[in-house]
Amino acid sequence: MNINKWEIGPIFRALMRNKVGAVLIAIQIAVTMTIIVNSIFIIIERSKLMQRESGIDDANSFYITNTGFGDEFDSKATTIADLELIRNTPGVIDAVQINAIPNSGSGWSMSFQTEPGENKEDQGAAIYMVDEHATKALDIEVIAGEDFTPSDVRWRENGTRDWPDTVLITKVLAESLFPDTPWQEAVGKTMYISQTEPMIIKGIVDKIQAPWVGWSDLEHSVLTPEITQFSSTRYFIRTQAGERDRLMPEIEEALASANKQRIIRGLRSVEETRERSYRGDAAMIKILSTTMVILTIVTALGIVGLASFSVNRRKKQIGTRRALGASQSAIVRYFMLENFLISSVGVIIGAVLTIGLNMVLVNVFSLPSLDWYFVPAGMLVLWLVGQIAVFGPAKKAANIPPALATRTV
Amino acid sequence: MLTMHNVKKIFRTDLVETHALRDFNLQVDEGDFVAVTGPSGSGKTTFLNIAGLLETFEGGTYELDGKNVSNLSDKQRSQLRNEKIGFIFQSFNLIPDLDLFDNVDVPLRYRGFNSAERKKRIENSLELVGLANRMKHLPSQLSGGQQQRVAIARALAGSPRFLLADEPTGNLDTKMALSVMELLKEINDTGTTIVMVTHDQDLAKQAKRNIYVRDGQVSELSEVVSLEHAANA
Ligand SMILES: Nc1ncnc2c1ncn2[C@@H]1O[C@H](COP(=O)(O)OP(=O)(O)OP(=O)(O)O)[C@@H](O)[C@H]1O
Ligand SMILES: [Mg+2]
Repeated sequence: MNINKWEIGPIFRALMRNKVGAVLIAIQIAVTMTIIVNSIFIIIERSKLMQRESGIDDANSFYITNTGFGDEFDSKATTIADLELIRNTPGVIDAVQINAIPNSGSGWSMSFQTEPGENKEDQGAAIYMVDEHATKALDIEVIAGEDFTPSDVRWRENGTRDWPDTVLITKVLAESLFPDTPWQEAVGKTMYISQTEPMIIKGIVDKIQAPWVGWSDLEHSVLTPEITQFSSTRYFIRTQAGERDRLMPEIEEALASANKQRIIRGLRSVEETRERSYRGDAAMIKILSTTMVILTIVTALGIVGLASFSVNRRKKQIGTRRALGASQSAIVRYFMLENFLISSVGVIIGAVLTIGLNMVLVNVFSLPSLDWYFVPAGMLVLWLVGQIAVFGPAKKAANIPPALATRTV
Repeated sequence: MLTMHNVKKIFRTDLVETHALRDFNLQVDEGDFVAVTGPSGSGKTTFLNIAGLLETFEGGTYELDGKNVSNLSDKQRSQLRNEKIGFIFQSFNLIPDLDLFDNVDVPLRYRGFNSAERKKRIENSLELVGLANRMKHLPSQLSGGQQQRVAIARALAGSPRFLLADEPTGNLDTKMALSVMELLKEINDTGTTIVMVTHDQDLAKQAKRNIYVRDGQVSELSEVVSLEHAANA
């Protein structure tokens, strides 16, 4: 390879005398790069959020709501009977009555503090009211302290204001509440709900996410040992692998026929619940991806168009160059280099715009700021798109016969 | 220098076959200045294109500088054009977006000369055609005669053995045509072989040798013309 053959100087000077098309394409490249890089960044960030694990057995769990009506309805007896029925159904690993479903979008949250009284520093956390079957049914693990025993569990009636004496909390909540000590040491400590009511931390569980996927303290959760005696309650059921879809209608059917004093409804898998909660993010990813693809195609077509136009306009010049000794590869190289120069201007402007747009997104939508390597990666991609797009027209130019130099006036 | 023996060129389109050259025979010696005349469509440009390796041909043999060039690859032909042949065109064919310096630079780049060498050659050849002071001008800022001089400088910059010109004065008025002709004669005096197609009998007569092409062949008449030329001289 002889660098003397590379016509960078002449190509650049010729471009400067014929700027309009090149400038438009450079701007298009810059804008495309700006949007593509920021879109990819947002997509990656969103995907990361979507991939956070709930901590429970999403794939094999579902839940169902039980709403009693009429004066005859006995919530307590119904719950005991229902749980017994469900837990004894073959294929069910375990089941628990629960007041809210992780990642579902609705639930209870309370504030917790390590010192009693007003205006103390506190941490919000989701409340899950469960019995001693929770760890097995939810597939969570007590990693310090102890799990609930049947004697910890109480009945909670409508209108009950106070809280059980012992609770389980997540590891992340333990770290937030007691930032200065190892999380294991939270076991046995007291925290306060409703500012002054003490609760003893009986154990720490590995992970169970709160119902609200957009919440920054998604892993702040507290398990309280109580079964609710409300007119409307919910059962969370975990099945053996592959049994969920069979058991969902079966259990719905069994519950409905076991007791006619209530309505069984809201049957839904945890997977679907999660999918619904992230639907907005999934849609955003789809829209951004489509925009990116379309923009890239439009830009590539713009490059093809400009190059084809300039090949056609310069046919005689290309014939002349061939007559003066340009090989076909020299002609291809000419157009590739020309595109490279245009793209370079485009991606340099693009780099500035990309960082600029990210800064706006950081300020306005409090997005995280772009990792540095997104910018060079974006430049590289657009350089490549340009080179690929210009290759066809460049090949066409190389096939212009040298005799064109003498045959056209 | 250049020997064509029974060269044939046929242009095929869907409807017709044109025998542009039929059994074309010609020998041009080193240092000669040959003027080619003939009616329109007789095959003069075709001959020049084949001589300059711009087009391939169907039959016969062609030796350039003692080398058979009938079966060269496109790349080899490009390289030979670049090293041995200088082209001058009727409509100058300067590149409008490049100044004179960059225009003359074009074939030197393909040759792979380094920038010092190219600069020296560009300056020398523009000097030779009297335009060294206008290196930064664009072709559009020059008269036709000046543009053709730049084209000649470009053809000469790589020191080719062989200069091919297709009606180099066709777009010029008489005065400018004469000065271009003078320039070509000067170049020929330094040893460069020149073949020039022209419609201008007066200019043709100033060449060392005249040939006449008719119907794709070198006509017998060429001998008559050059004899007349010799007698008049
Ligand atoms: N690319 C082509 N396709 C088909 N026919 C062609 C082509 N180029 C030339 N011809 C034909 O070949 C014949 C010779 O053409 P050529 O250009 O060599 O003539 P010429 O002597 O240079 O004419 P002029 O004096 O008008 O320039 C003509 O009949 C022409 O129409
Ligand atoms: Mg002609």
